Amino acid sequence: MTAQVADRRLTLDPRAAVRAVARDVATMSRALKAWLVFLLVLCATGAVGAVLALPAGWEVLGTSPSFEWGILITAYVFFAITTSGLCLASSLGTVFGIEMFLPLEKRHAVLALLSLITAFGIIALDLHYPISMVFGAVFSPSPLSPMWWMGVFYGIYLVFLGIEVWSIFSNHWGIHRYACMLSSITAILAPTTLGAVFAVLGARPYWHGAFTPPAMMTMAFLSGTALLGIVFCLVHRYRLAGYERALTLAIPAIRLLMTITLVVAGLVVAWQILWGMYGVIPGLADANRAIFAGPLALWFWVVRVGAGLVIPLLLLLIPRTRTPEGLFATCCLVFLGIFADRAIFVSAGQIVPGTAVGGVVSDPFAEYVPTLVEAAVVLGAFGFFGLAYTLVERYAPMGEHTGHLAGAFLGSTEQPGGTREALSNLVPAPEPVGPPETVLAPETVLAPETVLAPEPVLAPEPVLAPEPVPPATPSLDPVEDAP
Amino acid sequence: MSQTGRAGSPGQAASPAALSRRRVLQLGAAALPALCGARLLADALTGSGVETARAADTTAPADAYDPSAHSWAFAIDTTTCIGCGRCVEACKLENHVPEEPEMNRTWVELHVIDQDGTVRVSSPDGGIHGFPTEETMPADDAANVRDAYFVPRTCMQCENPPCTWVCPVSATFRTEDGIVFVDEGRCIGCGYCIVACPYGARYIVPAGETTPKGVAGVVDKCTFCYHRITRGQLPACAEVCPANARIFGDLRDAASPVSVALNENRVRVMKPALGTRPQVWYIGLEEEVI
Repeated sequence: MTAQVADRRLTLDPRAAVRAVARDVATMSRALKAWLVFLLVLCATGAVGAVLALPAGWEVLGTSPSFEWGILITAYVFFAITTSGLCLASSLGTVFGIEMFLPLEKRHAVLALLSLITAFGIIALDLHYPISMVFGAVFSPSPLSPMWWMGVFYGIYLVFLGIEVWSIFSNHWGIHRYACMLSSITAILAPTTLGAVFAVLGARPYWHGAFTPPAMMTMAFLSGTALLGIVFCLVHRYRLAGYERALTLAIPAIRLLMTITLVVAGLVVAWQILWGMYGVIPGLADANRAIFAGPLALWFWVVRVGAGLVIPLLLLLIPRTRTPEGLFATCCLVFLGIFADRAIFVSAGQIVPGTAVGGVVSDPFAEYVPTLVEAAVVLGAFGFFGLAYTLVERYAPMGEHTGHLAGAFLGSTEQPGGTREALSNLVPAPEPVGPPETVLAPETVLAPETVLAPEPVLAPEPVLAPEPVPPATPSLDPVEDAP
Repeated sequence: MSQTGRAGSPGQAASPAALSRRRVLQLGAAALPALCGARLLADALTGSGVETARAADTTAPADAYDPSAHSWAFAIDTTTCIGCGRCVEACKLENHVPEEPEMNRTWVELHVIDQDGTVRVSSPDGGIHGFPTEETMPADDAANVRDAYFVPRTCMQCENPPCTWVCPVSATFRTEDGIVFVDEGRCIGCGYCIVACPYGARYIVPAGETTPKGVAGVVDKCTFCYHRITRGQLPACAEVCPANARIFGDLRDAASPVSVALNENRVRVMKPALGTRPQVWYIGLEEEVI
């Protein structure tokens, strides 16, 4: 039995697949093997946590009636905004056709899909009855509830992302450009609705207000851009598919986005805090006190402000660190800062007790310490996300879409005729290369020597280099470039 | 010329495993009734369907009961409450509330107001064992205290309850006679209603021998002992109160104790600025603690 995946015919024979995997593992570098083992350990840890977290009512989480949403909600929010941010950041290329953002397209779609799946997995483990949630949302909907709308938008977003990924790997460009547009629109609706889940709660002054949804979207943009920066710096570093345009276009584009978004995010954080300090709303001032000088102060000043905002901005602005390595460090720090930011956000809304609730003295702050099970689930989520993307990067044709190289994208200024016109200039697709039956053979996807072959010296990259764009990178794409 | 990459891939057309659009639509059309059937089957097997749950609900009202003829409310007199904790104990026994101190349908707080207006709130074990003086108000602290009193707490059965409209699956709702319920057959345990409640009146039932409705992982809250009041009895907490601090009744009845208490006293509600319109009024509550 065979299956056709992205112009490759794969044999669905378990024994053949195992042999192919064994062959592939033998060709892997030590670094890649170590990375995969690390991710597998994280996944195994997460699996143990998941098994313990699944049964309804088991008291394995550190949450309590006075602090009901813990680190699993933080992780869910983090992955949910990251998936939206990935789509928003790359929409500059996929929707508006800005050339320098086009190399982000294929990888952003895969990352966004995996991030969303990870977010759904986490929330399923946090809920006591995740299956009932699916049925309940359909059969007993609650249109007044922001959480219901959030589920609707993220559900639709999942469908659009799925179509986007499918169409880009199967060269259904006509469908693809609409999927990009629709998923980008949903990527705005979903995180703002996620913000509204918190914003409508009058009982939680720190969350309550119209400021929360746009702040959530700002952080989404920042998080998605940071993840793209991490991935494209690695693409450049390890000479993965499309690394030339990663250097000349993607990395400068991400640096530009990151600089703008960091400044905006810094202003958002500053005004959020300043506004709270001036206010006399009960609970809000106390929450800000917890952030400034209370139990959240270390996270806020060191991780959120220091590592997540100030140092990244310095790395972006100092000429000596305006290198791919500098951008990589920037993006890693920002990514960490966003996780801390969401953890602070979720905690600050609950840290000021509205009531003593049984057994809890209301002064000064409510307490929450994540359990090992919660930590395992979060680590497992990161492990799953990293492992899934590593496998996609290794086995899927991640070279840039040839349609883009010919200017065939929605809103292209280079090809006024749009996709159809641009595609008509392309030569007909050749027959798929390679043996007729390829059993998960990675060498047909990426030559082993090109995978994880670090380049010793990295020349400083030109910023927004005006030089002509090199021709199509991947030799794996089925369609050659137009002359 | 028409090489769109969509239908032009010969490998796709030839592959026996390739899915056509028609096939995908067929699968989708078949999946929908299958999912519906699975839901019904799951409800039948687990008894988690709404009707099944309501049939098994111990809080189901008496047959002759007319919800539209009642409007239940509490008036709580903080000037008479002695903080004995019997109400908490009675509630736990009556409703099979878990023993964990942070999980309560009702609890008692001690509010201590210092000379400078600072309010200290404590509730050791929800007040079920009372309030030992040496722990809750040390003797050397007495000079600094301007006022102190006990405040029994429970669900406010708000007229405009934020917990109901935030629920994504409509599992929590308000009845005609003013009681907010959780349908354990629908609740998914997301905790959204818990963070939305300004009064901390909800909790998620842990797995164990003592569960209010035999279901773990769902939200539980006070129902004013609906199974009792619809049969003409008092809620368990009001029944056992030795100081008559919990005054319960029907607001539709002008002669009921709660109506009389509300007429004869100056009363306050908790957090009136939120617009939730609680149906629990407090007598003798100071401004600092609301």
